[in-house]
Amino acid sequence: MRNSGAMLILTFIAILILQAAGVSPPGKPRLTSCRSPEKETFTCWWEPGGDGGLPTTYALYYHLENSETVYECPDYRTAGENSCFFNKNDTSLWVNYNITVVASNALGKNISDPVEVDVVYIVQPNTPEHVTAVVVHDEQGPFVRVSWEKPRTADTRSGWITLLYQLRVKQEKDKEWEEYNAGMQKYYNVFSLHPDKEYMVQVRCKPDHGFWSEWTQTTYVKMPDYITRERSLWIMITIFFVFIVVILTWTLNVKRNSVKLCLLPAVPGPKIKGFDKQLLKSGKSEEVFNTLVIQGFPPTTDYDNLLVEYLEVFDNEEQELVLDGKDLSEDCMKSKSPSDIDSGRGSCDSHTLLLEKCMDGREGSGSNQHQYSQHGETRWASTESSESQGPEPGSPDSANGRGKTWPVVFSSPQPQPHHHYPVGAAKPAYHSVPEILNHLSPHAMSSNYHQLNHQDILQQERRFSKPACRHSQSYNQFNLDGIDTSAPGVAPSPSLEYVEVQRVNPENMLLLRPLSDPNREPEGSDCTREDYSKVKEVTSNNILLLQRDMSHQCVDDYSQADQCTTQQPPHPCKPAVHQSNSGMPQEAIRVMGNGYVDSTVLINLAPST
Amino acid sequence: MTQGSRLCFAVAVLMCAFVSINGVGLNDLLERASQLSDKLHSLSTSLTNDLDSHFPPVGRVMMPRPSMCHTSSLQVPNDKDQALKVPEDELLSLARSLLLAWSDPLALLSSEASSLAHPERNTIDSKTKELQENINSLGAGLEHVFNKMDSTSDNLSSLPFYTNSLGQDKTSRLVNFHFLLSCFRRDSHKIDSFLKVLRCRAAKKRPEMC
Repeated sequence: MRNSGAMLILTFIAILILQAAGVSPPGKPRLTSCRSPEKETFTCWWEPGGDGGLPTTYALYYHLENSETVYECPDYRTAGENSCFFNKNDTSLWVNYNITVVASNALGKNISDPVEVDVVYIVQPNTPEHVTAVVVHDEQGPFVRVSWEKPRTADTRSGWITLLYQLRVKQEKDKEWEEYNAGMQKYYNVFSLHPDKEYMVQVRCKPDHGFWSEWTQTTYVKMPDYITRERSLWIMITIFFVFIVVILTWTLNVKRNSVKLCLLPAVPGPKIKGFDKQLLKSGKSEEVFNTLVIQGFPPTTDYDNLLVEYLEVFDNEEQELVLDGKDLSEDCMKSKSPSDIDSGRGSCDSHTLLLEKCMDGREGSGSNQHQYSQHGETRWASTESSESQGPEPGSPDSANGRGKTWPVVFSSPQPQPHHHYPVGAAKPAYHSVPEILNHLSPHAMSSNYHQLNHQDILQQERRFSKPACRHSQSYNQFNLDGIDTSAPGVAPSPSLEYVEVQRVNPENMLLLRPLSDPNREPEGSDCTREDYSKVKEVTSNNILLLQRDMSHQCVDDYSQADQCTTQQPPHPCKPAVHQSNSGMPQEAIRVMGNGYVDSTVLINLAPST
Repeated sequence: MTQGSRLCFAVAVLMCAFVSINGVGLNDLLERASQLSDKLHSLSTSLTNDLDSHFPPVGRVMMPRPSMCHTSSLQVPNDKDQALKVPEDELLSLARSLLLAWSDPLALLSSEASSLAHPERNTIDSKTKELQENINSLGAGLEHVFNKMDSTSDNLSSLPFYTNSLGQDKTSRLVNFHFLLSCFRRDSHKIDSFLKVLRCRAAKKRPEMC
């Protein structure tokens, strides 16, 4: 009792002394892992817990599951420090090993926790051996063939262990490896590697049920520099297409004219006869449309066009005429309403011409060629003017109804060398009336003036709907002398004299001469006093076909453009005519007995008679 | 057709039928069997891992020892040298015996899997059922192999399984389930190993695979 107590106290004191000295029993060891490389042997490793300052020995003890016999580790050396190697004889499969490690030193020992191990579950083979990576050149392109050997210890030949292989590839600079499973074969072809690059290859293996081995040492392989077939194909395709494009471009360039013709067919320009595109560009539409005036088109149904009426022309003040002329031009301009679509009227309405002619006339040039009658009587198939032209003497329009004025300028008594108005120009002759009036003013007696009521003209212009500026080429015989001597100061005296149509040329020209013309030749008609030509008929072109023979007297009606009531009619027929004219019902042209076309019904006669 | 030609035709047809039935070579049969047994063992391993994920520590204490597996009485080679010495038919019969011994326990396991007190119950259930199917197909395949090998004797060991239920309380049921599964895991590994040895032994034409 005392001894045991003393022993205890002594032990306690010894421990304290030992601990003060820094020594202690060993720490508890711990088994870290047990592995079998080929399912035939296995090795266990432990880590010591601490030696306690004293030399410590470790012992591994094990016993199998179905027996209690404890065996110690047969081999502590083969596997290295703190390991136990179990050779073939000591290894049993499908049996649990209960393994413990005991650490012991001078002061004591320590036992690790027991570990149950079944060898078949701890298989981890060695690394594969002899890894080789070879570049193989193929028609598809080069690739790398990696081949290796099985780990030396593994017996796969008998089927005792089945190994599955895996390899991984990467470039030096890459972070991630590219892994490939090779199955049970011992080679692998790696494709899609970049040319002219160096790759690292590693291989490892695993049993069918077990742990992966360690990776082998790195094997390096360098890919050759090559152009992939796909890329070379694309390069060829690109070159081919570039070539095609170049060819096409060059061809197009050479044939650009025909290509332009093909893609952008020429738009046919206006090919209207007499149409001047330049005029259109310049913006003066009236000049443009002047050219479109077709002489004689459309045929007017209004036969009043054919009436040749007398216009009373009187010699007003030249200033007035001039002013009137100007006004006329301005009015002509103003009257250019949009409704004046009638192209035929354009020529007649061309105020510019009027001005020009006015200017020319004043200059006294001989270019006074305003045979307005050239335009034919159709032009003067005027308008219904609703306004009264009362104040104007010789105003052709009456206050009410419809009237027609025939501003026909008749020629002077003497047969004058006439000047044909150029057909193509189609200058409105009537605009030149003031000029004519100006020129003819000094010869009031010998020359006849037709005063155009400018208002009438305006109204005619407004209502003029027939492109009647046809080139019925009648010309006036102007008294050139009268024309030349322009005496602006002289105001034409309002005198009226009738002119008659002498004859009609084959060229549709009315040869006019005043009635008082001593040189007048008889037409071979019986009516010597009456120098009228009878209208035989009116053709479709508004051409008056005059009769050659006038057998009967000229109890006549003649178309008169204005009231001749105010004038002193040199012929007795006239008043009669005039009277008879009044009160005529409105109707179309009536052919009176002696062949005259009576258009008086269409004339709005002023109640001046 | 003459009678002679008819006869030749019939013989040819019969031979073709015979060859087609038995046309699959032993190598291919064993290859297929090895694949099945490999799958079997993988399934059992994953089942064990699933169970271990939420296993109570007390269960490990309660776990019966592996020697108490109902198939422990079967004598099998313990190491490679022994195994390589065993003739093929014996290896085959060992494999077949083990396989046969587990058809009943697996039925029990699959019936009990759905009511296990385990969070991974559903996964365990589905895997157990898959296990059962694989065993049946492997058993049929091994029948063919046996027939192919022309064994003289069919010495299958009988390894009866008498347990009807896994236990009364959920813990014991869980523990017993785990125990049974661990026994099966080992036995499936045995089967797999034996069949792979047989496979390599028969595949003399393809040495690269073994």
